[in-house]
Amino acid sequence: MSSLNSMIDVELRNIQKRFQQNVVVKDFSLQVERGEFVSFLGPSGCGKTTTLNMIAGFLEPDEGDLFIKGKRMNGVPPYKRELGMVFQTYSLFPHMTVAENVAYGLKLRKVGRAEIEERVKRVLDLVKLPHVRDRYPKQLSGGQRQRIAIARALVIEPSLLLLDEPLSNLDAKLREELRDELKRLHQEIGVTTIFVTHDQEEALSLSDRIVVLNHGCVEQIGTPTEIYNQPASEFVHTFIGKTNKLSGRVTAVAAGRVTVETDGGLTVEAGEQRQPFVAGQRVHVFIRPEKIRLTDAGRTPNGGSGQLVMASFLGAFTECEVRVGDHLLSVKVQMVDSTLNLNPGQTVGCSWNSDDVLIMPAARDAG
Amino acid sequence: MNRRLSILLLIAPSMAVLLGVFLIPMLLMFLLSLQDEAEQFSLANYLLLVQDPYYLELLWRTIRVSLWTVLCTLLLGFPVAMFMANASGRVRGIVAVLILAPHLISVVIRNFGWVVILGEKGWINETLLWLGLIDKPLRLLYNELGVVIGLTDAFIAYMVLAIATSLYGIDTSLYKAAAILGASRIRTFFSVTLPLSLPGVVAGITLVFSLSMSAFVTPALMGGSSVKVIPVIAYEQIMSTLNWPLGAALAFLLLGSSILLVSLFARLVETKRYKEVFTA
Repeated sequence: MSSLNSMIDVELRNIQKRFQQNVVVKDFSLQVERGEFVSFLGPSGCGKTTTLNMIAGFLEPDEGDLFIKGKRMNGVPPYKRELGMVFQTYSLFPHMTVAENVAYGLKLRKVGRAEIEERVKRVLDLVKLPHVRDRYPKQLSGGQRQRIAIARALVIEPSLLLLDEPLSNLDAKLREELRDELKRLHQEIGVTTIFVTHDQEEALSLSDRIVVLNHGCVEQIGTPTEIYNQPASEFVHTFIGKTNKLSGRVTAVAAGRVTVETDGGLTVEAGEQRQPFVAGQRVHVFIRPEKIRLTDAGRTPNGGSGQLVMASFLGAFTECEVRVGDHLLSVKVQMVDSTLNLNPGQTVGCSWNSDDVLIMPAARDAG
Repeated sequence: MNRRLSILLLIAPSMAVLLGVFLIPMLLMFLLSLQDEAEQFSLANYLLLVQDPYYLELLWRTIRVSLWTVLCTLLLGFPVAMFMANASGRVRGIVAVLILAPHLISVVIRNFGWVVILGEKGWINETLLWLGLIDKPLRLLYNELGVVIGLTDAFIAYMVLAIATSLYGIDTSLYKAAAILGASRIRTFFSVTLPLSLPGVVAGITLVFSLSMSAFVTPALMGGSSVKVIPVIAYEQIMSTLNWPLGAALAFLLLGSSILLVSLFARLVETKRYKEVFTA
């Protein structure tokens, strides 16, 4: 038995994979619950696609065990795993019509003619493309192709849906559209899904849980809000979203609050951290641009005043750079909470809540 | 100078050469084939070809040998093409050189090589006799089998390269998609690899078939007197019997039947789906 809990659909136990001497996936353990949407997020070469290929059966782990629906899958070829998979390059069969592409997996399962017809129709309705059934893939747009690829994967009612960067080949607007479509489909069908992406926004918006990977190691597993607000490492924090990084030294630790004197001459107070710090320790301080408020120059409780260097209006918000002491802080200003005139050269105040400040030991570097 | 005129001027030299050494001689050959021994206009040569069972058997033998050659090059060549498609660029290059290298040697010499290998005292028969698998030498030469072996060796490179080129164009993630949908490797071959390599297969079949139909050296050397094909008989009529009109008529019979069969084949293959999928 892989698990006492029958609600676990996928389990990876200490999975390890080497290519020649390089360890590309290291000691990867994960349990995915039935109906869960889990993303593998990380930069290229982090091992996310390798892991997905091991789950699909295209690669075999060197060490560790893989269970799908309680059955050990090591050594089982992909065509016996009963999975659905969507590829970055769509991978529709160019010599088959849309209907034939979708029916392919059903024919292999010796499903009856009438039932194939019925299920193909149903799944094409599901992806909202019933009218393209007799077209060839090359007569479809990129977005349509990927929807058909999703339909083809779903029609066999797979025990697990694997998505290998399915949105990367689409342009920005279409990508967002298809992302919402994936979310809707997942809510409608509830199929357990593993989604590989290097795009943090996709991972944040779609996932129940995110696995952040770097250099073959799991950096953190958590819900999108945990990953965003309580990153386990500097890598997780910097990979997901923009941030300001200031170096400094801890001057005081009291009642869970940490005070840091930065090298640029700022005093930063931080709320409770995931790890303990001691006075005198070298640290990095991180504050996200959208957590910084711009105020009229003057005293600010936690922050400082400085000179506005640059302001770029981007519609929904304005991106500013402010020189505070020796630091150049990037600040994202929502126009709704500011009546400031943002003229470069003027003096402004920057402030933030101490709970939005993240501190990491300096010795451990990102990556 | 306008554009059209300059194009015409540019192709004029090659057109002149083609006209002079190809079209006009062919026309003369055709007129020759329409003459009897008294140099009078006559359809006698063509009537002889279609009425005499000897010539019908000759035509059928030529086609039969060519079809066997197509089949052998296809069955032996496809795995090689697949190997090339799966290999790295470096290995592909090495294999291509290995396949083409024999073509640096005259086909006459290669065929004599086969005569040595396949003869009654050749190493194949010697080995089989020594192993006790046969008790008298197999006849591997001077029959249709010998000709097919020789032609397969001569033309397999065309088949391999034509198929490999079309396999290179197949997105390998399609194989993954087929596998994850439940297709075994054999199933994937027949439902994905083979249909998508059709343009290469069609090109290879057409090339090898036309080349085999008109092959002269190999049937002459490896078929001996028992496997005469149209090019060999046409040669004999012109060079030995000095019946030029009949030789010319045989040449046109060969040309006509090749064109007819190749275009019938193209008709058969190029279904509506084929055109939809493979034309841009």
